[in-house]
Amino acid sequence: MKKAYLLLWSLLSFPLASHAATAATQLEGSFKVGPAIILITILVLFVLVGIFFRAKDTTDFYAAGRKISKVGSGMAIASNWMSAASFLGMAALMYGSGYHGLAYVIGWTGGYVLLLILMAGQIRKYGKYTAADFIGDRYYSQTLRAVGAIIAILISISYCVGQFGGIGLMFKWILGINYSWAVIIGGSIVLAYTLISGMLGVTKNMQIQYVIIIISFLIPLFILTYKFDYFWVLPQIGYGSVVSDAITGIPLSETKQLINSMGHEFAMVPSPEYAMPWDSATGKTFFQFIAIAFSLMIGTAGLPHVIQRFYVVPKARDARWSVVWGLFFICILYWSAPVYAAFGTILSANPEVGTLAKDAIVVYTAQLGNVHPLIVGFLAAGGVSAAFSTVSGLLVAGSSAFAHDLYVKVINPEASLKRQLLYARLATILMAIIISAIALAKLALIGQLVAVAFSLAGCTIFPLFLLGIWWSDSTKQGAIAGLIAGCIVSLISLSYFVAGKTGAVWPLHDFIDYWLGAWYFAWIGAPLAIVVNIVVSKLSKQTPLEIRRFLVEKVHS
Amino acid sequence: MDKTTNGYHISFFKPTTPQARYNRNMVLWLVLIWVIAIFGFQLLLKLVEKPTPEAAYIKFQRAWPQVERGDASDKELAELGQATLSVLGKIMLSDDDKTVLTDGLSYSVYQLTPDSLKGELVAMIREFEQKRESIDNISNPDYIAAKMKLSDELSPVLNLSSLDIRSKILPLEIKSVGIEDLKEGTKTNLPKVMKKYLIHNQSFLTNFKFLGFPFHYFYTAVFLLILFVGLCLLYCILTDRVNAKLNIAD
Repeated sequence: MKKAYLLLWSLLSFPLASHAATAATQLEGSFKVGPAIILITILVLFVLVGIFFRAKDTTDFYAAGRKISKVGSGMAIASNWMSAASFLGMAALMYGSGYHGLAYVIGWTGGYVLLLILMAGQIRKYGKYTAADFIGDRYYSQTLRAVGAIIAILISISYCVGQFGGIGLMFKWILGINYSWAVIIGGSIVLAYTLISGMLGVTKNMQIQYVIIIISFLIPLFILTYKFDYFWVLPQIGYGSVVSDAITGIPLSETKQLINSMGHEFAMVPSPEYAMPWDSATGKTFFQFIAIAFSLMIGTAGLPHVIQRFYVVPKARDARWSVVWGLFFICILYWSAPVYAAFGTILSANPEVGTLAKDAIVVYTAQLGNVHPLIVGFLAAGGVSAAFSTVSGLLVAGSSAFAHDLYVKVINPEASLKRQLLYARLATILMAIIISAIALAKLALIGQLVAVAFSLAGCTIFPLFLLGIWWSDSTKQGAIAGLIAGCIVSLISLSYFVAGKTGAVWPLHDFIDYWLGAWYFAWIGAPLAIVVNIVVSKLSKQTPLEIRRFLVEKVHS
Repeated sequence: MDKTTNGYHISFFKPTTPQARYNRNMVLWLVLIWVIAIFGFQLLLKLVEKPTPEAAYIKFQRAWPQVERGDASDKELAELGQATLSVLGKIMLSDDDKTVLTDGLSYSVYQLTPDSLKGELVAMIREFEQKRESIDNISNPDYIAAKMKLSDELSPVLNLSSLDIRSKILPLEIKSVGIEDLKEGTKTNLPKVMKKYLIHNQSFLTNFKFLGFPFHYFYTAVFLLILFVGLCLLYCILTDRVNAKLNIAD
């Protein structure tokens, strides 16, 4: 670990010391040299660390966690989790819809409690490598294994669309090009990065990524709270007064001559809508708040790439404790994201600032707050790193679902290792192309797009794991019926969402749009899938003895 | 875990070993705390909420009937203009709502301007609009001077002091065209728009301050996350203790 930090410091210190600041006070604009150098340095660092700590064999690759501490494993969980949605998207949601955005904050953290107390230890004891493996084995069905793999691929794609959107926005900001080109260039780089680093020292890399992501995210917060005269020692508490100031408004007489980078006073009219619950100005309701929080929570406990982290720790106890550390490290970022939204609200309050891309508000806030351009560049590079680490993990998970779970386990069990690898690479490329194409359509905010993946996981994989672990009478037939119910709800919601985006108005559009919104349809889909699974299981033939025996003797002993 | 004649059987709600029973009880307690802390609090927030208007809304309500009838006094017209500016300074505005608000603002300023100066007012606003469109950078000195001049000229019309943040917004939001009459669409929609942006769900939970935060905001954004980490920590500690007590190895 010490070697890695030395490497990190030597690489980071080069551009910081040798490159002068860019005149990046303009929010958008031309190519930004400093941020570009920082970004390239960080990406090169990730690849070097990967080579430095390369996995020696397949077991080492899969079970890298066995050599690292629980804290290190927690960092890996946090890095795997913290994507563009956490880094950029969460602040965007609070900036755009105030208190409603907190539904995402608690949804994306509260789910870990469920994951821990209901699944983590048992998943480790079950001892499979992928979600599809578990589903296929527990429900003694090759069909379910194949469907599980397909769902895992769809979830990976859905999750990555938001990440590509974030990468596009940051590349647009750094390179000064339009969004479409930024997505294409950023997408190509992340694909190359995944193909190069996919087989390298994943877990060690994740720890380094976590350190870079969190440092780049926290530094501007100390500067902002210090510059604008708030309690800066702990910005995660200090910003409470920023929220209160947004509510009551800041008169010009109290701005203390503080201005943003465009010369506007640090002042605004009273804006209680920023913090008051389900405010009519945001257009969001109490039901939507609850539905989003609930869907994200159960989605967390059903995401294949999250569940997969628990397969690689040595013991069930390690799986449990790594969740505690992982959640703590995640919360450091989640306690901090609202600070950007609160400052962004006041700093961009003057109409002259214009309409800002919400998903880039983290970077704009730092710029408007007169944070040094190189630090803003580091922040943008941190956003790209967050997206890269998640995308590469998801592309690897998606391609392994295709090559391992679908191709080898279902289609061609005799396939050679070389052929498996070829199919995995082709699947990675194909997924990247599909994801780029969807990301170009800019269907919604990053956080919302990622929430779609959570609802999908909540409706499909979560019920299969929950019942599969805790109720031995859940049968293959019950699982299939439950999965069909979950998929139907998902299909209805997503069809209406896509139709709405193309301008088509289907019957009951408003009703479906509100009650089965694309980012929270799991509020009903998941309970329905569970009930259907239970009812059909009760009516079907008992689970085979060897499965029940395995559950009793291995998973719950 | 049942190894009876029915065969091996696992059910969360019907545990058959001390460890499983303990685990069930612990999970149920933790889930109960989790549910009440998250959803219970939000439900409480919903139950105690009371629609609370901002001061600007009260002024608007007082002035609007007269404005709608076309017999508003200067004071009422100024209050209409001030109220629209109170909303135009917010960041969560839709484009449609903004159009309605700028119409209302421009109308009130036009009505408050003496007839002999109305032509001059429109020309002045138009000149500023043209200047605004022609510049590349808002730090252009000519543009800044024109903006300040317009603000200085118009703020007294709406009884705004130079220390009122709304005086800075005024030149940026006022329009030069179609301001002579209040359009039918504006007449219908302005009260709805004002209600939408100026009435908020407040209660003792939102008004009480804790560490500088409105309490409900602190609870959801900060405390709940601490609680989640705490619940996970508690579960791990208790599970380790039970496993040690029952001699269960991982």
